[in-house]
Amino acid sequence: MSVPSPSSPAVEVSGLVREFKGGIRAVDGLDLAVAAGEIYGFLGPNGAGKTTCVRILTTLLRPTAGVARVAGHDVVAEADAVRRAIGVALQEAAIDPLMSGRELLRMQGALHGLRGAAARERAGELLERVGLTQAGDRRVGGYSGGMRRRLDLALALVHRPRVLFLDEPTTGLDPTSRGALWREVRSLNDEGTTVFLTTQYLEEAEQLADRVGIIASGRLVAEGAPDVLKARVGEPTLHVELADPASADRARTALAHLGSVQAPDPAAPTKVELRTAGGKAAIAPVIRALDEHGVVVESVEVESPTLDDVFAAVTGSHLEGAGAAP
Amino acid sequence: MRREAGVVVALGRRALSVQFRRAQLLMPTFVLPLMLLAVIASGTSAAQDLRGFPDVGSYLAFVVPGTLIQGALLAGLTSGIAFAGDIEFGFFDRLLAAPVRRSSLILGRQAGTIGLSLLQSVFFLGVAALAGAHFEGSPLALLAAVGLAAITAVGLGGVASAIAIRTGSLSLLQSIFPFMFVLLFTAPAFFPRDLLAPALHDVAAYNPLTYVVEAVRGLLTGDASAGGAGAGLAAAVGMAVAATALATFALRERLRTL
Repeated sequence: MSVPSPSSPAVEVSGLVREFKGGIRAVDGLDLAVAAGEIYGFLGPNGAGKTTCVRILTTLLRPTAGVARVAGHDVVAEADAVRRAIGVALQEAAIDPLMSGRELLRMQGALHGLRGAAARERAGELLERVGLTQAGDRRVGGYSGGMRRRLDLALALVHRPRVLFLDEPTTGLDPTSRGALWREVRSLNDEGTTVFLTTQYLEEAEQLADRVGIIASGRLVAEGAPDVLKARVGEPTLHVELADPASADRARTALAHLGSVQAPDPAAPTKVELRTAGGKAAIAPVIRALDEHGVVVESVEVESPTLDDVFAAVTGSHLEGAGAAP
Repeated sequence: MRREAGVVVALGRRALSVQFRRAQLLMPTFVLPLMLLAVIASGTSAAQDLRGFPDVGSYLAFVVPGTLIQGALLAGLTSGIAFAGDIEFGFFDRLLAAPVRRSSLILGRQAGTIGLSLLQSVFFLGVAALAGAHFEGSPLALLAAVGLAAITAVGLGGVASAIAIRTGSLSLLQSIFPFMFVLLFTAPAFFPRDLLAPALHDVAAYNPLTYVVEAVRGLLTGDASAGGAGAGLAAAVGMAVAATALATFALRERLRTL
């Protein structure tokens, strides 16, 4: 078994291919690397290959070709070492509804070598961590979707994994439950856990991920920090609504030095659009400049490029249900 | 090794406790064999007057071995059904993602089957005793009979698990339920082998359950001529080892071709 060096990437994938019956390539020559301590968001529409990739990285599926290493270990040749290093919360929260949260945690502890008092203690700690102490002895069948996801996360943490795989952890959750899960993921990452997160929610990727990989048809089509990716497709646009259409020309003159002023739209004579890398930070200078030229402003709105714009720019289509999580 | 033993015990405990929380599995494993026992004991007791029927003190004690083995078969089958459910609903993935030996996943399931069969057999013997059955066998022989039934449960549990692993289909497992009765009734579960029709008598000779049920009968009635414990043990252990190996092989194949 190879001994990973401390500087090894947490996840390293090279030329990964997974072909299913009928020649369908769910993953088609994927290359990516996730640094230790990073939150990596794997973003793509349904059927893009996200889950297949996660199943390969978590040793639940064999690759057809290519190499994948997790925590420095090959997912095929050193599957057991990979399993010791990872925690997995799967999309179909694989939880037996007839068991209680505490029973599941103790069983998961046994799967990772915890017994007796140590398993009981760890189960109690994790129930408290995810806010399920009161519900710990109830059968999971009676849990809400959010409670199940939190329990699933706790189960993935039993053995203090170095790399945590979360496959669409907030799909179907209400905003409150989603927010609670995001906080927990950030907190785990602060403690040093590398997080590999698949999602189809742009907001989730933007909120959580240090870097985002966008996958389409089994291939990585874009990768980078969310802000960097968005900057590649264009600068934010400030939409300025004026009180008086007669002041539009003065406004354009006043703003010319702050960015690229868009051509006037005859259908909207009170609107002035300014593209500027400054984004929100440019609001104050814009207001000041307009004020100095005696232009009265009704409102200013900032429209930034989204990861969906990034996706559209590289694939020509939009993410299914793109935008914010419901 | 100690760690894997802990895994087997944890999975066995889980399999057993969940079994008792599924009413749809409790009904066939505990109630159905008793219903059949009641029908046979009350409706066919005149059979003991047939020429050639062994001289048994208690007809109920004669037919109870069939109930024990029926229970064992049902324990094994429901174990396979639960296994298929784990696969179909994703719970098995949680187990596969854990750093445990793959064979421990099978043995854990089998441990639960053994536990279920032991409880069933004690329950059936208790009910039969309350209903007036007299068991002439020694307490040790009774324990041996319960143990034989449990080993038999492991046999069918292994086959059912192998089917679950290969197909992952809950409905397929449920559909083999009637075939279990064919296996039971082609063995002298409720009737002496010597009084079976010639064709069935010949078939029974090739059915390993024949030797198990006769051994259980011999142990419960204290009449060694009813069936040799050694033959029964050999048949039960043979089935259990072969079926567990089959399930382990099926799992290896499934993982190899994932």
